Amino acid sequence: MKHASHTFVLVLLFSLFALPAAILLLVGLAPGWRFPDLWPAQFSFTGIQFLIIHGDQIVSSLASSFLYSLATVFVTLGMCLTPAAVFARNRFAGKRLLEALLLTPALVPPMTFAMGLHMVFIRLSLADTVVGVVLILAMFSYPYMFRALVAGFQTLGQDYRTCARNLGAGPVAVFWQVELPLLVPAMIAGGSVVFLVAFSEYFLVFLMGGGTVPSFTGFLMPLLASSNRSLAAILTLIFLLLPIFLFFVIDGSLMRSYRKKGMV
Amino acid sequence: MSWTGNPGSSKITLGLILRLSPLMLPFVVLFCGGVFLTVCQSLGIFTPLRHTGGLVDAYAVILSDPSFFASAGFSFGVALASAAGSVTAATFLAYRVWQLPNALAGAALVYKIPLILPHIAVAFVVLIFWSQSGILSSLAWHLGLIQSMPDFPNVLYSGWGLGMILAYTLKGTPFAMLLILALLVRFDVRQIQTAAMLGASKRRIFFSIVLPRLAPAMHTSFIILFLYSFGAFDIPYILSESRPGMLSLHVFDLYFKHDLARRPEAMAILTLMFCFAVLFIIAYSRTVTHLETGVRKL
Repeated sequence: MKHASHTFVLVLLFSLFALPAAILLLVGLAPGWRFPDLWPAQFSFTGIQFLIIHGDQIVSSLASSFLYSLATVFVTLGMCLTPAAVFARNRFAGKRLLEALLLTPALVPPMTFAMGLHMVFIRLSLADTVVGVVLILAMFSYPYMFRALVAGFQTLGQDYRTCARNLGAGPVAVFWQVELPLLVPAMIAGGSVVFLVAFSEYFLVFLMGGGTVPSFTGFLMPLLASSNRSLAAILTLIFLLLPIFLFFVIDGSLMRSYRKKGMV
Repeated sequence: MSWTGNPGSSKITLGLILRLSPLMLPFVVLFCGGVFLTVCQSLGIFTPLRHTGGLVDAYAVILSDPSFFASAGFSFGVALASAAGSVTAATFLAYRVWQLPNALAGAALVYKIPLILPHIAVAFVVLIFWSQSGILSSLAWHLGLIQSMPDFPNVLYSGWGLGMILAYTLKGTPFAMLLILALLVRFDVRQIQTAAMLGASKRRIFFSIVLPRLAPAMHTSFIILFLYSFGAFDIPYILSESRPGMLSLHVFDLYFKHDLARRPEAMAILTLMFCFAVLFIIAYSRTVTHLETGVRKL
């Protein structure tokens, strides 16, 4: 009985969340898959061929998306690091209200401030540049980094700091040599969300990048509506694999560096 | 918090302001400034084209247009249905995943797949599954439920926004699961064991013991998902039906496809959306606090 209900949950999870990925793979390999076939009548590699022909464009839009998303992660990190320490450690008047206010950019529709800014970005020649795209993405996604870092500083506690200070480290040394390395897991937790938000955003990049900043979502969008679904499916799968690959790499290298320092 | 950092740090000092400034400056300049410019442009100030009418002309145009209210109501409905659906499904699934034995818990990680997929890709998945020539239609044909393609219910173009609701729910469920599982990890299983020993039924355990503990994560994810579906653009751009459309599409059309003279109208809709979002957050959190003051904390 117990066993059957566990199986049921797993089957449900797989059919809801993993089956779509499997179907995307089939669609990618079988452009001619038509109603009412449950299994494609024949497979072909035209989708893959198209992928190879347009390889340059795909790689450049992928690289551009990757780079501006990474830049967004570092910008949000720079924005949130010291304020998160303040929020985790200090009590001051109006703290709760300020915290609520600082989280609103992730809640209200991003269109509402992005479109107002658009005109100014055009005047300042920030529109259609990577800087403009990164700024607007950072503005929309920093609350995830902020929350993660505040939690990170809270779990860190005061003891490491006190200990390092007692041993004669200055405030700067404490921050760079003691606290920052210990905060890496929190940074990665916040950074992965920020990266995913930035990497998968279509509209804000379209608005601020104006088509001159290539993006993978921008490349994918017209293909989703086209009749050749197989290419769109393959590109969607790349979308899935790149972040997964990235997280494995980061996780692995983090574990290695911790092991080297004897922390695990 | 049990500790508060340096004693006497309750005053707002220059150092405090300096350390807050990396976040406060962009927040004030870009976020508050952006909203301010949206409001200004809705009033006809700072518009690219000199505005000749009165201050609230754009609002008058919008509020006298029945299609605006149709769109607003439609967006509200889609957001409500998808957020409620996501949170309900996520609560059930997260609870069941939490109960899985360790050996199976790793396999449950597949729930994170839609979390990685961008919204437009999730919309594409819904298209592949639910269109009349899609996978589910083929399955229904093989099961003998339908005789031909048009017999399959026209889910994506029913006029009810079902396609968008499906896509938002598929994308939102794993997100809510993530938040709910984070709370469940810290949940003390002995509470359940005690309740079971005292004779509580499974249903009673879930509703009286587990659910109240998950409520904070459920509320947070509901607010986030509701407001996101209410105002986002990506999924409606792929799955929208003609009328009534989502508000975000309406804004997009006014902004990009009409002449500059109608810019204040687009901005007026955005201003109203912003006000709605803020009021919604305040009203929702007030209601939750109000409801919870009556509940005895364990």
